[in-house]
Amino acid sequence: MNGHQPVNIIMVEDDEGHARLIERNIRRAGISNTVHHLSDGSSALRFLFEHPEGPVKNGPALVLLDLNLPDMSGTEILARIKSDPALRRTPVVVLTTTDDKVEIQRCYDLGCNVYITKPVNYENFADAIRQLGLFLSVIQIPESEGLG
Amino acid sequence: MVASQDTVAESHGTLYSRVMARVADELDLSDRAATRAVILFVILGFLGLLAGGVTAGIVMVDNQQRVGWVNHTFEVERHIDRLRLQMERLEAARRGYLLDADPTFRLIFDDAEASLTHEMAQLSALTQDNPAQKANVERLTEQTNQLRVMLGASMIARSLGLNQKALEDFRTDGSVQMARGARTMGGAMLAEENRLLSARMTTQRRTVNIFYGVLTACGVLLLLVATASILLILRYVRALATSRDSLKALNDNLEQAVSVRTRDLRRANDEIQRFAYIVSHDLRSPLVNVLGFTAELERSAETIRAFLERIEKEEPHLLDADVRRAVDADTPEAIGFIRTSTQKMDRLINAILRLSREGRRTITPERLDMARLVRGIADSMRHRMDEIGAQLTVETPMPEIVSDRLAVEQILSNLIENAVKYLKPGRPGRVQVRGRLEAGRAVIEVQDNGRGIDPKDHERVFELFRRAGFQDQPGEGIGLAHVRALAYRLGGGITCVSALDAGATFRLSLPVTYVAEPTA
Repeated sequence: MNGHQPVNIIMVEDDEGHARLIERNIRRAGISNTVHHLSDGSSALRFLFEHPEGPVKNGPALVLLDLNLPDMSGTEILARIKSDPALRRTPVVVLTTTDDKVEIQRCYDLGCNVYITKPVNYENFADAIRQLGLFLSVIQIPESEGLG
Repeated sequence: MVASQDTVAESHGTLYSRVMARVADELDLSDRAATRAVILFVILGFLGLLAGGVTAGIVMVDNQQRVGWVNHTFEVERHIDRLRLQMERLEAARRGYLLDADPTFRLIFDDAEASLTHEMAQLSALTQDNPAQKANVERLTEQTNQLRVMLGASMIARSLGLNQKALEDFRTDGSVQMARGARTMGGAMLAEENRLLSARMTTQRRTVNIFYGVLTACGVLLLLVATASILLILRYVRALATSRDSLKALNDNLEQAVSVRTRDLRRANDEIQRFAYIVSHDLRSPLVNVLGFTAELERSAETIRAFLERIEKEEPHLLDADVRRAVDADTPEAIGFIRTSTQKMDRLINAILRLSREGRRTITPERLDMARLVRGIADSMRHRMDEIGAQLTVETPMPEIVSDRLAVEQILSNLIENAVKYLKPGRPGRVQVRGRLEAGRAVIEVQDNGRGIDPKDHERVFELFRRAGFQDQPGEGIGLAHVRALAYRLGGGITCVSALDAGATFRLSLPVTYVAEPTA
């Protein structure tokens, strides 16, 4: 529609605690955008592609993606997003406990924009989340989004 | 790959020895009995042949002697004949001379007389061995001498012209009879020799027969030995072929068993690694929550404390010691413990993750100059060693190996770090690194003069999260476990030689050239 449409944050995270901590830190960073929390892969896909408030039908979004989901791997969702013409430009932030180099590499290959390891050192974690605020300010509306 | 190689090697060992024992059992009885029989038989046969040969030799020598005797007899006979001939000549010459005093007869007579004397001497020499013939010869000699004298006398009479006397003598002196007697004597001697000859011929024939008998016996024996030996050897070869076949079958079985077991072990090991990875990975998730919400709790506690301070200022009567202690001391203490414990847990989980990840890392073998590699590690620790006054020496030359650089570096830097870390206070630290080739493997030793490790803890120090001795240094008990996992991964091993207060030597043994394990 237009550049002023607020960015929705879509958080795909199966751990309630992590979800809560992420949301708190987002709020604490002064980000007031809507956060949609989805706790498994299939509902996340459904929301992304079919939900009226999802990014395909309703404006720009930022995806926070956990790789360890109960029903599928986060990389599968990442691949789906990055291969879809409507969602291709949606920024994806991968958030996971894995710091495995191979997996990080694979995520970047699939087109992930930022990879954040959930550190056990909580302060770092909070910092990383807060920096998402900066990230949100540069997100652009997907060009293919003609009608809105 | 944390523990599999040990177990694989061990199971290879037991399996192998078991199969070998079975093979040995199968081969044992028939094999040894056959060998012993063959050797015994061959020895017996050859002893027999030897005896036969010796007998044949003895018989041969004996036979030769007998042939000699027969020849001797012929010789004697020849001489007797000649003697008789000369006697005839002697008499004929005298007769001729008596009739006609021709000097030619005289010459013939002298010649015959000389030959006679010669033959007499020869015969006497030849018949020394036979007493009967010897007596005959003596008698003959005597008669011949008398005869010669008589004949000589009549010859002289004739030459002097006493023809009548000579003729008288010829008729009366008995020389004719004597000559006849001598001839008869010669005949008797000849008969005696003929008797000897026939006797000797008989014995000679007997020895020849014996000789042939012995030869035949030897031939039969040889044939027997050959046949028996060939039969035994055939049997032995057949037995050998059978055992070889069964050995081959067992060996095939063994290899199959080993490969099956190796595959099982590898699968189990992979499973353990996956398990370790998943567990440690999934354990981090709740840990993030614990730490995160602890921080949240701390934040809330801070809010409460600030509120409490306000109350203290505005409504001090509302506060009592319990509330104050709960907020000021108990809550921060609880949060502190939760934090340190979870941090430690995180370190342990990270260690497991690192070990499991190390097991899955691809090994890239390359040529490593060990002396240079060790010096590199030493340089990186120079600062710390200078600080505590420790010294590190690298004994050159060190063997060159082909292995994974990162893994070898990690092993050696862990060992050297430990050596520097656990020095004996008050004793200047000396760390020596040396290497050598031993039975196709590179052995690298890191020796220190530090506090040492009690022998009962030598196995323990290599276990994950286990430490030994006085705990005055930071650490989680991961380093040596990591070192051992890496050593196994490279197809090597590590052992520790040490006693309390006597320093420690860690001996790393690696294949000179890393050989990748076949993937199951």
